[in-house]
Amino acid sequence: MTNHYVDLKNAKAFLIEGSNCAENHPMSLRWIMKAKEKGAVIIHVDPRFTRTSKLADIYACIRPGTDIAFLGGMINYILEHHLYDETYVKQNTNCYFLLKPEFKFEEGVFSGYQEGKFKYDNSSWGYQLDPQTKKPLKAKSLDDPNCVFAQLKKFYSRYTLQTASEITGIPVDTIKLIADTLVKNRPGTIMYALGITQHTTGVQNIRSFGILQQLLGNMGKAGTGVNALRGEPNVQGSTDFALLFNYLPGYLSYPNHDQQTLKDWTKSSGTFRAKFLVNLLKAWFGPNATPENDFGYGWIAKKNKGKNYSIFRIFETAVEGKMKMLYVMGQNPMVTSPNLNLVHKGLSNLEMLVVADPFMTETAAFWEKPGCDPKTINTEVIFLPAASFLEKQGTKSNSGRLVQWCYTKINPPGEAKTDLEMVDLLFNRIRKLYAGSALEKDQVFKKVVWNYPKENMYETVLQEINGYNLKTGEHLKGIGEIQPDGSTSTGNWVYAGCYANAKNLTKRRDNKTDPSGLGMFPGFAWSWPGNMKVLYNRASCDEKGQPLDKERPLIWWDQAQKKWVGFDTPDVPVATDGPDTPNGQKPFRMSGEGVSRLIAAPYKDFDPKNMDLPRDSSSTPADGPMPEHYEPVESPTANKLHPKVASNPCLKYPRLKADQPIGKHSEFPYVLTTSGIAEHWCCGAFTRNVPWLNEISPETYVEIPEQLATKFRIRNGSKVKVWSARGEVVVPAMVTKRLRPLKINGEEVFIIWMPYSWGFKGLSQAASTNLITIDAGDPNTWIQETKACLVNLARA
Amino acid sequence: MDLSRRDLLKAVGGAGLAMTALGLDAKEVKAATADFRIKGAQEYTSICTFCSCGCSMLCHVKDGKLINLEGDPDHIINEGALCSKGASMGVIPNSDQRVKTPLYRAPGSKKWQPITWDEALDKVAAKIKQTRDDNWIATEKDGDKEYRVNRTDAISFLGGAQNHNEECYLMTKMSRMIGTDFVEHQARV
Repeated sequence: MTNHYVDLKNAKAFLIEGSNCAENHPMSLRWIMKAKEKGAVIIHVDPRFTRTSKLADIYACIRPGTDIAFLGGMINYILEHHLYDETYVKQNTNCYFLLKPEFKFEEGVFSGYQEGKFKYDNSSWGYQLDPQTKKPLKAKSLDDPNCVFAQLKKFYSRYTLQTASEITGIPVDTIKLIADTLVKNRPGTIMYALGITQHTTGVQNIRSFGILQQLLGNMGKAGTGVNALRGEPNVQGSTDFALLFNYLPGYLSYPNHDQQTLKDWTKSSGTFRAKFLVNLLKAWFGPNATPENDFGYGWIAKKNKGKNYSIFRIFETAVEGKMKMLYVMGQNPMVTSPNLNLVHKGLSNLEMLVVADPFMTETAAFWEKPGCDPKTINTEVIFLPAASFLEKQGTKSNSGRLVQWCYTKINPPGEAKTDLEMVDLLFNRIRKLYAGSALEKDQVFKKVVWNYPKENMYETVLQEINGYNLKTGEHLKGIGEIQPDGSTSTGNWVYAGCYANAKNLTKRRDNKTDPSGLGMFPGFAWSWPGNMKVLYNRASCDEKGQPLDKERPLIWWDQAQKKWVGFDTPDVPVATDGPDTPNGQKPFRMSGEGVSRLIAAPYKDFDPKNMDLPRDSSSTPADGPMPEHYEPVESPTANKLHPKVASNPCLKYPRLKADQPIGKHSEFPYVLTTSGIAEHWCCGAFTRNVPWLNEISPETYVEIPEQLATKFRIRNGSKVKVWSARGEVVVPAMVTKRLRPLKINGEEVFIIWMPYSWGFKGLSQAASTNLITIDAGDPNTWIQETKACLVNLARA
Repeated sequence: MDLSRRDLLKAVGGAGLAMTALGLDAKEVKAATADFRIKGAQEYTSICTFCSCGCSMLCHVKDGKLINLEGDPDHIINEGALCSKGASMGVIPNSDQRVKTPLYRAPGSKKWQPITWDEALDKVAAKIKQTRDDNWIATEKDGDKEYRVNRTDAISFLGGAQNHNEECYLMTKMSRMIGTDFVEHQARV
């Protein structure tokens, strides 16, 4: 979230798209309803009429996988009718920056597309640069045809309301009504969840939100933002701590094979981030990390630049016989991953599987899956009983980046242990096994600092994460104290300051002090970075640094104190650099440009004092600098904009031909979309072991629109077989008005819906929906397209 | 009035009419039942384990056992409320479905067998070492150039969104020391 949960009460308009927050993020509703009581308008865009739709003022039924067309229609309407906040756009975005004249978008692809390689050479997407300073050249007016704004307008001009309507199934008038409502009711916020990310265009869906909010001036202010309602209790934290192949903690790019030295890495990521990498290496290797040995950078594995190491490749390389061993900590891919038959094949081909979990899961017991013969499965499996969250300490980070301490006063049952203790015990054993080795590859085990006491282990680790001034031994008080020379350490720079002055700030509980009245509560727990509640809050001020929204001021420049001050931590590079300095005009300082990017051009920013290495580097999506509508891999219709380039051209799928068949519309006429429900959650390992929840929601089912049910003579409770090119399930039907046929490109399209939280373990057992879903993934995030695949159905 | 706790609960659960019939004030009844349930209990707070709202739970413990769990009224986000899933979490520490010892399933076997922690961790550590040693990639060629990569592609780690930050951090640290790049979690699913 750019903002935070309590801040929702400050919005005047809500665009909730791809989220059923009433069921899946119930407490967000508490704050939405407070805003509604004050007159806020709620808009819900979703393929299914849900409990969230019921609370909405405007509901739009959208075909799964067409969000870019819907948002594109609104963006074009706002651009064409000059409904954007021109002052905001000019002050806060790259609208004036000149793009290279060779940048083009033609027949469904951007310039630089490499046919057959599923990727772009993005050099033509960059800015025209000043040869001396390497800074982008700017146009004199927004009418300059090469400037970002003019290119944006030209690109979006294809997205007329009519085109958007024909692609999405939303009536023209509804799209127009939603756009007008968002224009008239500001500040406005956008909330989304997996309904936006689980597509082969997930990143570009979110980019569309970013563009829309920039045009509306809805970023960096109270009641605005692009707010991800993340799907797990600490998925914000686990992402921050880089349990992802392509990052190190704090979103530092993971080193590639051609980045052999810290300098090589800095050439690509910039000196601003190199400082944080040095501090991470100091946290990991302690005194063994020195400037002379590149702070131990060489001891870290280098990934192959061209390879994908995402979760899908774990199972696929297992199928290929390359992956030998998998350690799973509190995840259950045998329910939650798409295309489960492939997952099962991968697990069956491992030499060893280790699963740590409070409950027996379908993943650990994959060899007991109904219909499979354990004798033929040679995987050794070890199950480690884990403590539940109620039986351990430590911090969790919510979607609003609020880092909160969990206490406990009970022990885990039986011999169960916390995952922290397990990892510690395991790593110490591995180190011991390597203690006698003189081989170079094993030196890393001698160099790493790993010495955690049994008592207060969580708090000790949190202090390592926060980091230290290594000269004084004191905790770092914030990111500002981090030094590039090895004199400080931090295990995750965005968390620096969470443990300041020997105090664990995540334990703070001041729920009374909120001088802003906006629900910021600066003394309650601690938010990263630097206890900042609203990211990009510099954009809430005018050029001179004064709040634009007088009713909801966040920060401002105080001329008397010569300092940025306010109710929130000012999001500025240096608190004492005023609006008359370059640093005082960087509302989006985490991008290389210092402003937000309507077009995400590749860019490296240089400090005039160091033209040798970039200061910072802006990232660009693999599949284009602007969001283009591509159909899902399995689509019920042609791509209206460019039939020859139907789906995302950067998508490589199938990756394993035999296990990843693509269903044709002629054989699989219906669109399946999946999501969670209020009573069961994700894989269900917890909720399906709670009798109360099983009583409320005892089994899986398929929701079928009335018109389709009539055609198949399906009644409520009838057993229905649903199958795709990948698998089939038999489940009871729920005939519903909540789904309805859509008119797409002049044809009728039916959508059906299923929850996905069931499997063959736990107190409530039923077929897993993910047996039929598709594992094609977004080319930036490799998130699978579980929100749209093609199926057929029949009475069972 | 001599009422058992069950009678009181019935009265509360049976809606306002029943309470009025008994001549009870709803507020007092609620307070009294809460008092019975948690009298003498120790209290702690935790953060819910489902969506990412970050709601706080108030937990009560007697004799080392969790006896009550409810929304934390002093929390800025949930202000005492919990959803259906969160409110049911008191079941988890006391569930007979919890696995209480490490288990082992041999290749081709039809069943689990309990093993000790030492056996389990020794097996895992030995397997990690063997797999790492047998599948070590010291260098890799790209075009004409040979690069040092210090890596194994045969070991993978998965999970973390259910874990606390400190656990995620140590998992990252351990897996990156072992030298694998297959380090992933629920953010993609």
